[in-house]
Amino acid sequence: MPETPAPDELAAEFDMLMRRAGLSIPDARRSAMLTAYADLREQIALLHGRYGAVHEPSNVFRMTPAGDK
Amino acid sequence: MDTQDLSIAEMGRQLRAGSVTAEQLARDALARVAARDPALHAFVLVTEQRALEDARRADDALKSGRDLGPFHGIPYALKDIYDTAGIRTTCHSKLRLDNVPDADSVVAAKLSAAGGVLLGKLATHEFALGGPSFDLPFPPARNPWNPEHITGGSSSGSATAIAARMVRMAMGSDTGGSIRGPAAWCGLVGIKPTYGRVSRRGVFPLSWTLDHCGPLSRNVEDSAITLQVLAGHDPQDPASANVPVPDYRAGLERGVGGLRIGIPRAFFATAKVVQPEVLAGIDRTAAQLREAGATVEDITLPDYALFAAAGRVIMMAEAFAIHEADMQTRLLDYGEITATRFGLGAAITAADFIHALRARRELSDAVNASLSRYDALLTASALTTAPRFDQPVDSMSSAAPMQTIPFNVTGHPAMSVPVGLAKGLPISVQVVGRPFDEATVFRMGRAIELLSGWESVALPNFPG
Repeated sequence: MPETPAPDELAAEFDMLMRRAGLSIPDARRSAMLTAYADLREQIALLHGRYGAVHEPSNVFRMTPAGDK
Repeated sequence: MDTQDLSIAEMGRQLRAGSVTAEQLARDALARVAARDPALHAFVLVTEQRALEDARRADDALKSGRDLGPFHGIPYALKDIYDTAGIRTTCHSKLRLDNVPDADSVVAAKLSAAGGVLLGKLATHEFALGGPSFDLPFPPARNPWNPEHITGGSSSGSATAIAARMVRMAMGSDTGGSIRGPAAWCGLVGIKPTYGRVSRRGVFPLSWTLDHCGPLSRNVEDSAITLQVLAGHDPQDPASANVPVPDYRAGLERGVGGLRIGIPRAFFATAKVVQPEVLAGIDRTAAQLREAGATVEDITLPDYALFAAAGRVIMMAEAFAIHEADMQTRLLDYGEITATRFGLGAAITAADFIHALRARRELSDAVNASLSRYDALLTASALTTAPRFDQPVDSMSSAAPMQTIPFNVTGHPAMSVPVGLAKGLPISVQVVGRPFDEATVFRMGRAIELLSGWESVALPNFPG
């Protein structure tokens, strides 16, 4: 995932994603959503570049037995 | 007899001794709701007629020798995302104000079949996510310890109703901490059982692979009794696990002698927002457990931030998939907080989501590896006491004060247990167990309840 872009680029990216999803975000709500998006984007960055090709996702859950109980 | 402080077990004993009737318990509870709820807003609907019918049926059954077990005649209430046949189920949302289900959720049906007495439906954050909000059809529930403070969410009304002593047990749901968070901030016990332990069928989903159903209650035994009623395989819930259910009360009083307990200290000790009283509460609890015979050691788990990131991405993506059509056509019918949170799901790419699922595997394996060496983990539920309504925190942000989402990501059973007060507001700890080992979680929770002296802490007092 690319580094967090400059604020105007981040806003343009956000607007594109909302349009692509078919969402019409009112101006009054856009600022709060953009702030939350910036925070989410930083969290998403933690997940990228972490795994190699052999690392599969959990399908639903991975309840490997733990301990002797 | 003043019935507001009777535990579920004590209510059962009094019912069977004939010193109280289910109808009296129901009428007392309804009177407390009528007196206290106008200032606290726990209930979105009080089902008085249903409650009295349930109670009379419970009394008649006992008189005729039909005893349905420990939940027989016990008043309870349901978060308003649990379907109730013929009773409106709104999800606290304008979008579902007219929704009257045809059938009970499995949880509602099991509590009813066990002889429970339904008092009504409880406030939640909208669709179990968006709140606390003042732009929804019902006001947000207020914290009985101080009504200027929030309860935490999303099982907000459930926590309010119990902490204000209207009812002893109420059902919540937990996708990122929605049982344990309100329990922590309102001085209650709240357990998120293992994923698959309790059927989710008939409960409006927030995020299928993170959603768990469970009770909030005044004490550990109340929760153990309730989970005994609810646990079990449901072949019609695709996530339900066919795993034997033990007797949850059998080991409650065994203490913690011989248990090995791990503390993932970096989770909470390095968090920027943690309050010193919360840290002190965890350290005090650890010392008490050691003194009681447990081995308690610090352990290392992957960074908390990775758990939080995986959980948030999975939750937002799944939630948006559920709400996509309504978000496209009725966005303004959602509360502002709800729409903001659901809308972010639209910004998550397929790769983001898959990476989150890969992280889920890594994190589940890491927690399981720790639990191969330890019987249970002890950590924070919340890093702070309950904030004021006028100082809101974003419970979904990376700086959120709840530390509950890791065990939604991994599916392990986890319970919040109160251990004291800080400036008049509750602080709690979180106990985490091996998959399907709720019995050890209850056992350790009961020990903490005794060691902390929580049961002698006076709850908020209300007239009526």
